Amino acid sequence: MMHEPNRQRQHISGQFNAELDAIKSNLLEMGGKVESQIENAAQAMSRADSGLAEQVLSVDREINDLEISIDEQCLKILARRQPAAGDLRLVIAITRVTTDLERMGDEASRVARLAIKRSESSTVRCYEAEIRLERAAQRVMAMLNKALDAFARLDMNSALDVVLSDTTVDEEYAAGLDALQRAMANERDHIPEFMDLVWSLRSFERLGDHTSNIAEQVVYLVSGEDIRHFDTAAIRAMIT
Amino acid sequence: MRDFDALIHASSVSSRHQRQSPLVRIEGLHLEYPRGVALRDIHLTMPPGAVTAIIGPSGCGKSTLLRSINRMNDTIEGCRYRGSIFLNDDDILEPMTNVTSLRRRVGMVFQRPNPFPKSIYDNIAYGPRIGGLRRRRALDEVVERCLRAAALWDEVKDRLEESALSLSLGQQQRLIIARTIAVEPEVLLLDEPASSLDPISTLRIEELIYELKQDYTVIIVTHNMQQAARVADWTAFMNEGRLIEFGSTDDIFTNPNQQATEDYITGRYG
Amino acid sequence: MVWLSAWCVSFSLIVFVTFIGTLVYLSATWVLEFYAAESVVDSVIMAFRAVFFPDSAAADFPPMLPAIVGTSVVVVLMSVIVAPLGIIVAVYLSEYAGETWYTELVRIGVQNLAGVPSVIFGVFGLAFFVYGVGGSLDVWLYADRLPSPTYGAPGLLWAATTLALLTLPTVIVVAEEGLYRVPESLREGSYALGATRAETVLRVVIPAAAPSFFTGIILAVARAAGEVAPLMLVGVVRFAPELPVSTTAPFVHLEQKFMHLGFYIFDISSHAVIGEGRLGLLAVASLLLVAVILVLNIAAIVLRNSLRRRYQTIEEL
Repeated sequence: MMHEPNRQRQHISGQFNAELDAIKSNLLEMGGKVESQIENAAQAMSRADSGLAEQVLSVDREINDLEISIDEQCLKILARRQPAAGDLRLVIAITRVTTDLERMGDEASRVARLAIKRSESSTVRCYEAEIRLERAAQRVMAMLNKALDAFARLDMNSALDVVLSDTTVDEEYAAGLDALQRAMANERDHIPEFMDLVWSLRSFERLGDHTSNIAEQVVYLVSGEDIRHFDTAAIRAMIT
Repeated sequence: MRDFDALIHASSVSSRHQRQSPLVRIEGLHLEYPRGVALRDIHLTMPPGAVTAIIGPSGCGKSTLLRSINRMNDTIEGCRYRGSIFLNDDDILEPMTNVTSLRRRVGMVFQRPNPFPKSIYDNIAYGPRIGGLRRRRALDEVVERCLRAAALWDEVKDRLEESALSLSLGQQQRLIIARTIAVEPEVLLLDEPASSLDPISTLRIEELIYELKQDYTVIIVTHNMQQAARVADWTAFMNEGRLIEFGSTDDIFTNPNQQATEDYITGRYG
Repeated sequence: MVWLSAWCVSFSLIVFVTFIGTLVYLSATWVLEFYAAESVVDSVIMAFRAVFFPDSAAADFPPMLPAIVGTSVVVVLMSVIVAPLGIIVAVYLSEYAGETWYTELVRIGVQNLAGVPSVIFGVFGLAFFVYGVGGSLDVWLYADRLPSPTYGAPGLLWAATTLALLTLPTVIVVAEEGLYRVPESLREGSYALGATRAETVLRVVIPAAAPSFFTGIILAVARAAGEVAPLMLVGVVRFAPELPVSTTAPFVHLEQKFMHLGFYIFDISSHAVIGEGRLGLLAVASLLLVAVILVLNIAAIVLRNSLRRRYQTIEEL
C-alpha cells in the first residue's frame, strides 16, 4: 500500500509519536554525519590531507554510538509498543539502515586511513583513477543524499532511482580499476601505492551498494514490498 | 489473498475427528435496530477450520455481526435484517430455519462468563440433557471430554458437584467453553472471550482457541488487536457497520490495503 | 450514624422482648395459679395436658389443640394453593408477557389488591367460593345430600382458598422481583445452547429465582396465619367436634369446619369479662399462635437457605 507523502497522521499516544519521531530524526542525523564523512574522506584522499583524515577517524566513533543508540530505541519500541503495519516496517527498516550507515562509516574510515598512508609516502599519480575516484565519490554522496531525502519524504520513486543509479558507481569503479591495472603493469615498483587507490575505489563501490540498500529499505517502508533481490526490470516496473 | 482462495477451493479440511467444519459465508447482510442501522451490506467469507478475528472500534457492529450468525439478535425487539448467511449451503437467515437447532450448530461464548447457578457437572450436561441425553454414563463421558478439551479437567475433576460459581473467572470462562462444545457445534462464536480476564487466563484461553480450531470454525470478536494478531489466521476490520477490509492476519498487520485499516491498527484514528 | 442504628436495634429488641415477655409472664402466672401443685414442673405438666389433651382434664375453656392443628393445616393448605398460582402468574408476567400497557395494568391491579382490607376477602370468599363454587359442586357431586350442604358451606377448603387469594398479590410481587433479578446473561447463555424459551424458564430461570419464591411464601404464611376476620366468614368456628385431619380417608377433610387460634383468642375475649384468669389464657393462646407461625416460617427459611447455599446466585459474587 502506498502512503501518500506527508500524510503522517498523529498517533493517539503522544509518547509513541515522540518515540517514532526520535528514531527518524536520529537516523537522519546519523545519515548526515556519514555524508560528511564520505565527503571528507574523498577529499582527504585526493588531496592527501592527513589532518582531514584524522578528523574522519575520530568522528567514526560518534557514528558507532549512534548505531547502538538507535538500535536500542528500536528494540524498546518493539517491546513496548508492539507496532503494526507502517510503524512496524518503519522500525524494521531503521534497524537495517543503521547497519548500512555504520558500515558506510567504516568504509569512510578505511579511505581516511589510506589517505593518511598516501600523504606519508611519495606521491605517485594515476590521473584517470583519481578522476574516477572523485566521480565515484560525487555519485555516492548524491545517492546518499537522495536516499535520505526519500526516507524523510517517503518518496518511493526517488528511492527506486537511487537503486537504479548504483550501476553508475559500479561503472566508475570498473573504469578506475582498469586504469590502475594498466598503471601497475607499467610501473611495477609503485604497485603498493596503486593498490591503495584500488582499495579506495573498492570502498566507494561498497558505499554505493550500501546506499542502494538504504534506498531498498525506503521502498519497503513505503510499499511493503521487499525488493532486495529484484532485478533491474522488476525495479523499473515499480516506478510510477 | 492467494492462500485464501486456495483454502476455500481445497477439498475436505481434515480434522482430528474427521468432521468438516463449515464455511461461513455472509452475503449482503443489512441489519437495523429502531435506534439506527447497525450493519451495512456485509459480504464476508470465513474459512473453515481456522480462526477469523473481527476487529474495529467500539460501536462498529462487530458484536452485532457475530450475533447474527447464531441469530441471537432475534431476541432483541425491533431488530430487522435482510441478506443471507450460509453455513456451507444452508442459509440460516431464512425464516423457516429452526433457530434452536441452529444454535446447537453454532455455539457462542460471551464476554463475561455466565455459568448457570448449578453444579459444574450440571452446567456442562445442560446442553446434552436438553438434546435428550439422559443416561448417566453417557453424560459422564461428555462432561469429561469437554472439560478435557477446555483444559479444565484436572482442576475440577474432584469437585464436579460443586457450584460452578465457586470457580475463578478464568476457570468459569473455560467452563463456558466446555459447556458450549458439549452440544458438538460446528462453529464457535467468541465475543471478546478474554476481555474480563487477567493476562494469564487470557493466554490460556488463547492457547485453547489454538487447539479448538482443529475441530471448529472459530470466529472471534476482540477489541484487543494484539490478541487478534496472536490468535487469528484471518482478520476482518469493520467500521461504522461496514466491512472495510478482510485478509490474512499477517497481511493486515504488516501491510493492509486500506488507509482506514492502517490508521486503526497503528492507533491513528480521530 | 453507627450509634443511631445501634439505638434502633436496641429499641426494636426492647419492644420485642417486652412483647414476648409480657405474654410469657401472663402465661406463667396463669399456669401456676390454675394448676397449683407441689412443684412448678408439675404445674407445667398439668397445664400442658389441659391444653393439648383436653379430654383428660376438667376444661373450663375450649380445647386449644384443635385450634393449633386447624391453624397449621389451613396455612399449609393455603401455601399449597398460592405458591404454584402466584409463581405461574409471576413467571408469565416476567418471561412471557411483553412490556405493554395491559401487562402494566395487571401489575398495578395486583399491587392494589394487596392493600384491600382482609375482611373484604372474607365477604368475597363467602359469596364466590362458599355459595358460588361450593353450591355448584354440591349440585354436581353431592346432590343426594342436598339440601344439607357439603361444599356449599364454610369449610377448610374455602378458608384456604380465601387466604390464598388474600396473599396472592404478595407472592406475585415478590416472585416477580426475584425473577427480575435473574441476570439476562443466564437466559442468553441458555438460548445460545439451543434451548427453547420454555426450557430456559423451567431449567434455568425458575431454579435461579427459587429462593425468592420461598421468600414470597414466607411472607404469605406470616400474613395469613394471623388473619382472623376473613376466616370467620368462611370456615372457622368456635368449637369443632372433629379435627380437619384424621387417620381415616380422605385424611384431609376439606368440607369440615375447623378451629383457629386467632379466632380462639377473639372468641374467648368476646364471651366473658376479661378477668385476670382469662388474660393468662389469652396469653397462652397468643404464644402458641406465635409459635406456630415461627415453626412454619423457620421451616420455609431453612428450605430457602439450603437452596441458596447450594446454588449461590450470581449477584452474590
